[in-house]
Amino acid sequence: MSKQISFTFNGVAVQCEEGQSIAAAVINSGTLALRKTRFGEEPRSIFCGIGICFDCVVVVDGVANQRSCLIEAKADMNIESSS
Amino acid sequence: MIIVIGAGPAGLAAAEAASRNGSEVALIDSASRLGGQYWRHRSTVTGYRSNRADLLFAKVKSAASITYISEATVWSIERDGELIRVNYLQGGSESSLTAEKLILATGAYDRSLPFPGWDQPGSMTPGAAQALLKGHGILAGQSVVVAGTGPFLLPVATGLAQAGAKVVGLYEAHSPLRWLLSPQALLLNVSKFAELIYYAGLIRKYRMAPRFGRVVSRFDKGQVTITSVNSSFALKRKRALTFEVDVVAVGWGFSPDLTLGGIVGCKERVDVDGTTIFEVDGDQLSSQKNVWIAGEATGIGGADLSLLEGEIAGLSASSQKISSILRFARFRKQVFADALKCSYPVKDGWRSWAEKSTTICRCEEVSLGEIEESVAELGAEDSRTAKLFTRAGMGLCQGRICSRNVSEIVAGLTKCSVTDEERIASSNRPIAAPIALGLLGDGKK
Repeated sequence: MSKQISFTFNGVAVQCEEGQSIAAAVINSGTLALRKTRFGEEPRSIFCGIGICFDCVVVVDGVANQRSCLIEAKADMNIESSS
Repeated sequence: MIIVIGAGPAGLAAAEAASRNGSEVALIDSASRLGGQYWRHRSTVTGYRSNRADLLFAKVKSAASITYISEATVWSIERDGELIRVNYLQGGSESSLTAEKLILATGAYDRSLPFPGWDQPGSMTPGAAQALLKGHGILAGQSVVVAGTGPFLLPVATGLAQAGAKVVGLYEAHSPLRWLLSPQALLLNVSKFAELIYYAGLIRKYRMAPRFGRVVSRFDKGQVTITSVNSSFALKRKRALTFEVDVVAVGWGFSPDLTLGGIVGCKERVDVDGTTIFEVDGDQLSSQKNVWIAGEATGIGGADLSLLEGEIAGLSASSQKISSILRFARFRKQVFADALKCSYPVKDGWRSWAEKSTTICRCEEVSLGEIEESVAELGAEDSRTAKLFTRAGMGLCQGRICSRNVSEIVAGLTKCSVTDEERIASSNRPIAAPIALGLLGDGKK
């Protein structure tokens, strides 16, 4: 059993295993939409899953446009949906 | 030294082969584990003949002359006299490495086609469902539809079922009879029957019922619509079925990642299936001196072919002899790869699936209606002009997902065909990964 860690996604605590990506952890917690689009404010989630499409971008500790499918979740990270 | 970029089947084989005569190799990859997309794993690799992966991993890890640099994203490559400098980001800081020789094994990603709702959460590529499962141990949803075309749908559907997902539909757009077009490919690759039997067994075990000549034509808030298509992919609207599902995983073959070779200036060409790929010689050498390319970027062909191309590239770059047995093995796999392209072509009828409001460019949220308007009212006569008017392909992904589709949509609207020049131009990107300006000014450059 891997070590469990916790971070926040839009202010809500998310638990996951160490080594899981931010996107995997959030989706596994039951939230599919990772952000809303700039113009249409449509929900988006993971699409290519391997860092090509940039659809899953989130703000990681204040840094915008980070691909949540590639970045491993770390304890106490503060993740916000891009807007 | 030889730098190998990409630690999937081609890159691993290249690094291992080059290290056989003691050549110094640096193997750079963006992931935290060896294996690339195909052999993606958490603790152990699973799936058909995964023991090949374990063998290669062990050889690469134990070779004294191979340095493995993980979690490093290459963002540019430049020439420095006779040397090649590779610039990469690792853990938020920039580093670089110089070598005499470079082997690119950058792989491919799923090709996607637009349909109403393909941008909604829950719609993803088969590769994404696979990555979530194999890389992170999670199911994208409890019930899944796997659809599109090509043999990659089989490992994805069976892998999801083995992990406990309910695969409620497996839809291949083409007829299985198309394989009869390529008897020579099957005769040269009899071992492929074993692979087919392996997947057929799993499909039976999990009671999946593969259906042919059908596509996902709509996905709307958990409701998927499956529609029959004719041989050119036009929808037969009267034959549609709608039901509830958590996830639709839809893929239409693969697009190679050409970014790094494009930056180096390697010559590209258009493959028989319209995919832009790199031109290489019999030793996998590109048009650029001391730059070899192996794997999907020289033509989509799967892991078997990538392993052989990687081995040949590695041997050539380290000045070792390449046996004629190895060259013939590659030839057999190339015949099979070409047969795959003929058996699972993406037909033009897909252009009729999208509606006016359907998103075509996901990054910049450009709809089919806006692209049609740029052609009909603004006078765009080619995809480049249509892209400038609409911003399609100008978002964060730099057109990796939509540019081929936009070119083909505009060609359809203007009743032209996409020229090879246009296909090649639309696959080139100036930088490989976003980089903060602050890092560029940081001393080294």
